[in-house]
Amino acid sequence: MKQSMKLNTLLAAFSLMAATSAQAEPQMATGGAMAWQCAPCHGTNGQEFVEAMPPLAGMPAKQFIDAMIAYREGTRAAIIMDRVARGFTDDEIKAMAAWFEKQPVKQWENTSLTESLEAQAAAEATGGQE
Amino acid sequence: MSQLENKVFDSKVTRRDLIKVFGASAVAATGLFGASKNAFAKSAPHVVVLGGGVGGSTFAKYLRFADPDVKITIIEQFPEYITCLRSNDVIVGYHTLDELTFNLDTIKSKYNVNVVIDKVIGADFDKRTVQTAKGHTLSYDKLVVSPGIDFKFEDYEGHSKELAETKIFHGYKAGPQTLALRQQLLSVPKGGTAIIAPPQNPFRCPPGPYERASFFAEYFQKHNPTAKVIVLDPKDRFTKDGPFKKAWERLYGYKTDNSLIEWVSGSEGGRVLSVDGDNLSVETMAGTFKADMINIIPNQRAGKLAQKLGLTDASGWCPIKRESMESQIQPGVYVLGDSSIADAMPKSGYSANSQAKVCARAVADTLRGNELGKAIYSNVCYSLAGENYGVSIAAIYEVRDGLIQPKGKSAGVSPITDKPAQPILEAVYQKNWQREFVKDVFS
Ligand SMILES: Cc1cc2nc3c(=O)[nH]c(=O)nc-3n(C[C@H](O)[C@H](O)[C@H](O)COP(=O)(O)OP(=O)(O)OC[C@H]3O[C@@H](n4cnc5c(N)ncnc54)[C@H](O)[C@@H]3O)c2cc1C
Repeated sequence: MKQSMKLNTLLAAFSLMAATSAQAEPQMATGGAMAWQCAPCHGTNGQEFVEAMPPLAGMPAKQFIDAMIAYREGTRAAIIMDRVARGFTDDEIKAMAAWFEKQPVKQWENTSLTESLEAQAAAEATGGQE
Repeated sequence: MSQLENKVFDSKVTRRDLIKVFGASAVAATGLFGASKNAFAKSAPHVVVLGGGVGGSTFAKYLRFADPDVKITIIEQFPEYITCLRSNDVIVGYHTLDELTFNLDTIKSKYNVNVVIDKVIGADFDKRTVQTAKGHTLSYDKLVVSPGIDFKFEDYEGHSKELAETKIFHGYKAGPQTLALRQQLLSVPKGGTAIIAPPQNPFRCPPGPYERASFFAEYFQKHNPTAKVIVLDPKDRFTKDGPFKKAWERLYGYKTDNSLIEWVSGSEGGRVLSVDGDNLSVETMAGTFKADMINIIPNQRAGKLAQKLGLTDASGWCPIKRESMESQIQPGVYVLGDSSIADAMPKSGYSANSQAKVCARAVADTLRGNELGKAIYSNVCYSLAGENYGVSIAAIYEVRDGLIQPKGKSAGVSPITDKPAQPILEAVYQKNWQREFVKDVFS
């Protein structure tokens, strides 16, 4: 039950955060909301380690940020990531990077729901800050 | 409340009941009903999802991420789901239907979702209940509807649901339709003709008809090189038409006398007005075309269920609030996927998956009384213009001026380059994407 308590604390932090951030009109989507959109190619929460598209879970934030900015600015060769990266601002890229860094370095199928909920709550609790 | 619902959610349920409904692994894995300490408190809200296809299944999984304690039920009419994704491959034999068949078992066991296999026949929005064909009534706090599409056979003189089940197949819901088209393609005689008639906008999978035409041409090239495919289109443009036509030139002699593909645009009279199933011919503005097989992909509207529930407007599709996918017609009811009016987003599986995630956060926030977060959507459609030749379109979307619109400078199709690796890599990515996508939806 230790896991469960940890999860509950994290979830409480998450709700509180959501409540405080709710006071002003949000300027950008949360890191998690953006990161979920990457799943069809990179796996649920970036946890796909056996396909051509690179896994994003656990990627050091700097590596993620550098790659996305290079794609966006056209300094790194791409097939479609240049188009995708042009949809994001620096702050959005940083928030996604911070979120993915906190996800388990582990194939999605082998990750339990509780383990993932903890990782997602921990990532949301950073508020997108490294 | 029906018996069914009591059995699932009543706080007095026994462990045996839990195992019966959710499967032993789910109960064993968590030791609990939900994922946190509150074992689905009696007061926990109940979110009911109608349709366990791409939109519905993704939604249930991601709502579980957004809210570990909410009760979730999916009502899906069929025990198995065959993806349309890659079903064009089945027609030409690059895939089998088995490889495209999925179910909701993992959604049920891993994400503690109650799955009911039954057909939804109605809803009472005042009482907040839905009725099923087997006679169950389920009550909900929030309702999510993702029922796919319906066909407008009446737009073509001589066409009907019956004809579409016996001779003039659409192949736009995967399954027997797909296999019937395969049978017809294999039976086209030497030097014969196949007609593909794409629908008017908007419709499910905008590149689908053109990918299919490409595959037919590739099949003929290998097995029946004097045969040809004629695309009779009501439109003058189609998605990715630049890269598609370039691929046709490179691969199938498009624009030459020996082209395996001929495309008749709307201005050239390509729109099909009527069909004659006995003589296998169609009437268009440009005259009569006879063929050995005719694949009419009819004009479309929101799934029958969405129409029946009164969620559609005069366009035949469902108007939604862009920040949440909540119906503009029925508060507390959300519409996902092909049935919804999502502005610049195409009706794709990727879009349905994307919308489901935005909606999951919106429903969780609403149930907690929080303001909604900012919505972010995305779509990538990879298509094959040949087995090893991919073309793609991609965009990230945001809500701007009340509409879902491309964000930043993200929107774009594959560049046409002389780099031979580009289309080959796009084809690799497309196959990668398909394997990954179904995992994100169903596991
Ligand atoms: C040939 C082809 C190729 C495609 N390729 C791609 C591709 O490569 N990439 C891509 O992103 N998209 C692709 N698509 C599009 C994709 O299949 C759809 O956009 C997607 O399935 C839409 O999801 P949905 O949830 O709206 O509907 P669906 O996935 O169709 O789900 C609807 C579900 O609701 C159920 N249902 C309906 N009515 C009831 C009822 N009364 N009671 C209970 N259950 C009900 C149905 O049984 C079904 O399971 C393709 C489509 C076609 C036709």
